[in-house]
Amino acid sequence: MAVEMRLPVARKPLSESVGRDTKKHLVVPGDTITTDTGFMRGHGTYMGEEKLIASVAGSVERVNKLICVKALKTRYNGEVGDIVVGRITEVQQKRWKVETNSRLDSVLLLSSMNLPGGELRRRSAEDELAMRGFLQEGDLISAEVQAVFSDGAVSLHTRSLKYGKLGQGVLVQVSPSLVKRQKTHFHDLPCGASVILGNNGFIWIYPTPEHKEEDAGGFTANLEPVSLADREVISRLRNCIVSLVTQRMMLYDTSILYCYEASLPHQIKDLLKPEIMEEVVMETRQRLLEQEG
Amino acid sequence: MKETPLSNCERRFLLRAIEEKKRLDGRQTYDYRNIKISFGTDYGCCIVELGKTRVLGQVSCELVSPKLNRATEGILFFNLELSQMAAPAFEPGRQSDLLVKLNRLLERCLRNSKCIDTESLCVVAGEKVWQIRVDLHLLNHDGNIIDAASIAAIVALCHFRRPDVSVQGDEVTLYTPEERDPVPLSIHHMPICVSFAFFQQGTYLLVDPNEREERVMDGLLVIAMNKHREICTIQSSGGIMLLKDQVLRCSKIAGVKVLEITELIQKALENDQKVRKEGGKFGFAESIASQRITAFKMEKAPIDTSDVEEKAEEIIAEAEPPSEVVSNPVLWTPGTAQIGEGIENSWGDLEDSEKEEEDEDGTDEAIILDSLKMDTGVEVSNIGSQGLSRAQVLTGTQAVRPYAPIVLSDSEEEEMIILEPDKNPKKIRTQTISAKQEKAPSKKPVKKRKKKRAAN
Repeated sequence: MAVEMRLPVARKPLSESVGRDTKKHLVVPGDTITTDTGFMRGHGTYMGEEKLIASVAGSVERVNKLICVKALKTRYNGEVGDIVVGRITEVQQKRWKVETNSRLDSVLLLSSMNLPGGELRRRSAEDELAMRGFLQEGDLISAEVQAVFSDGAVSLHTRSLKYGKLGQGVLVQVSPSLVKRQKTHFHDLPCGASVILGNNGFIWIYPTPEHKEEDAGGFTANLEPVSLADREVISRLRNCIVSLVTQRMMLYDTSILYCYEASLPHQIKDLLKPEIMEEVVMETRQRLLEQEG
Repeated sequence: MKETPLSNCERRFLLRAIEEKKRLDGRQTYDYRNIKISFGTDYGCCIVELGKTRVLGQVSCELVSPKLNRATEGILFFNLELSQMAAPAFEPGRQSDLLVKLNRLLERCLRNSKCIDTESLCVVAGEKVWQIRVDLHLLNHDGNIIDAASIAAIVALCHFRRPDVSVQGDEVTLYTPEERDPVPLSIHHMPICVSFAFFQQGTYLLVDPNEREERVMDGLLVIAMNKHREICTIQSSGGIMLLKDQVLRCSKIAGVKVLEITELIQKALENDQKVRKEGGKFGFAESIASQRITAFKMEKAPIDTSDVEEKAEEIIAEAEPPSEVVSNPVLWTPGTAQIGEGIENSWGDLEDSEKEEEDEDGTDEAIILDSLKMDTGVEVSNIGSQGLSRAQVLTGTQAVRPYAPIVLSDSEEEEMIILEPDKNPKKIRTQTISAKQEKAPSKKPVKKRKKKRAAN
């Protein structure tokens, strides 16, 4: 059997390949950002000894008088209205605990979940007993953030038909800071697959359903076998996303699509090699720059 | 931090693999991971690595007054700590259950088995005894903490030297290491824990589970044994029902494993002793240099390609021109098409062509040996001088692609068929192709036959 082997090589620093004009102002916890007291302090900073000091490791962002530090690698911090993809870890009395790559497990209350058939009624004791029939431990769901508790824990809801239990697909876990905030996070890519870009860094790639199921309410998972062509598209998308992540590029539908198109000349498994990753992402970056400017 | 939950796919995959007797790291059911023991500069300090699980053990001693009901015995104190760097789930207050279980098991294994002679630790009966303290720290958690910890504890104890003490009547003199060489502890035997993980309600068993396997296991059986096949402690957790013969079988396996591990420990101790005696360098700093991942790092070497062009031109001038490539697809019957030209399917006349194959092969080898001068270890059956002309005649007109991957095969199969994704995977006799390849070494060969064909 043929195996490819590589010897360890010193890693090339990212800045060589990127060639950025404007250097980002990077700080680590404890660094002084500025001694000017005219600024308002935002997230990731604190005031100490008349100086503005960073409390997380990341890049400094300045909007007029507001200075905040956006962390490069962080756990997900919930904001109301975010779309998240999470995994059920526990089934409790009237709620589920969902793991969303944040500091505390998120909660999905039974009352925030749509009943099958879309009925509107008060949840009864039978519903409580039937909770496990809806969502079990280990299931993946897509949901929206309804509220954020004072300790940072996030409360989710699946009150729309587009949210609910996820069926067959591939999950990619990336850092939450790489997912760009957009108007919509559910994308049907023209290459033949759909993708959900969770704000918490969980990205779900799945085959586009032929017809939109109206009455399912997001509970029944479609377990029909997925065709080989769809599987190949999904694998290629997953490898593209992984290449974008290794080069620290923001993830949104356009960047993923350009990366997919740039990767078509290569075989799917070749996309995991570092050189080919660099090449593909370089091309994507160029296309994105052309598109902007 | 709570540990990330295992997805359903992973869980199912692991269980299915175990049912088929396959482990993720390629081990067999009863195989241990690599055990590596390294010692520090102080006596009694060691690091044991069981695969990626690392435990640091340190032994120290102190003169104290003995316990009231055991006036003539020394005191042993064991402590295992799960450091926060071992796994994200380990937090200062969080992992109490696991910690208590591990500590208890370690105590039972080492204290109750009386592996250390506590009477010899007595200095003055009722007044001064040695208190030996074993501190173990888990540095990295990749499964099977208890085995690594028990090995680290016993190795550290064997390695440790306590200061020498002499009693003359009422006078007790404690010698410093400079005055008199420190003295090893008196150890009767070396108990070592062996863990068995059970899956599917006791149907499948694995020795030395790693972290993933531990997450999906149903129950764990730990047997502590020494090399004289004496069981020091045995514990079953997880609530699985084990049959008597399963437990007996596990104890037999444990006996074998403990022998191997004890040998390894003895060797490591002897090595360290030798190095120290010869005055060589010892300690953790020495063992780190060979462990660095960049130990085999190669810089990117610039290659001088200035003269390649001339060489390539020479080779091309001598080589045969490639045959024409017909790229029109030919439809034989509905559902069977062919693109490119292959040799006609000759499955019907098997006997004649097989003999022909043999001759062809012999000539191939001859050509290889001549032109490449390589020791391929392939038998040369016929070295026919007319081989060259035959090769020229039988041009298989198979399109030779320039950048096809070179495949080295150790397989014992006679014929190797490589399926190219963009071509008909037809079984095609390749003898003529290989002959052609040797004539034109500038074009990389696509298919190979026989064993150990090295690329040019």
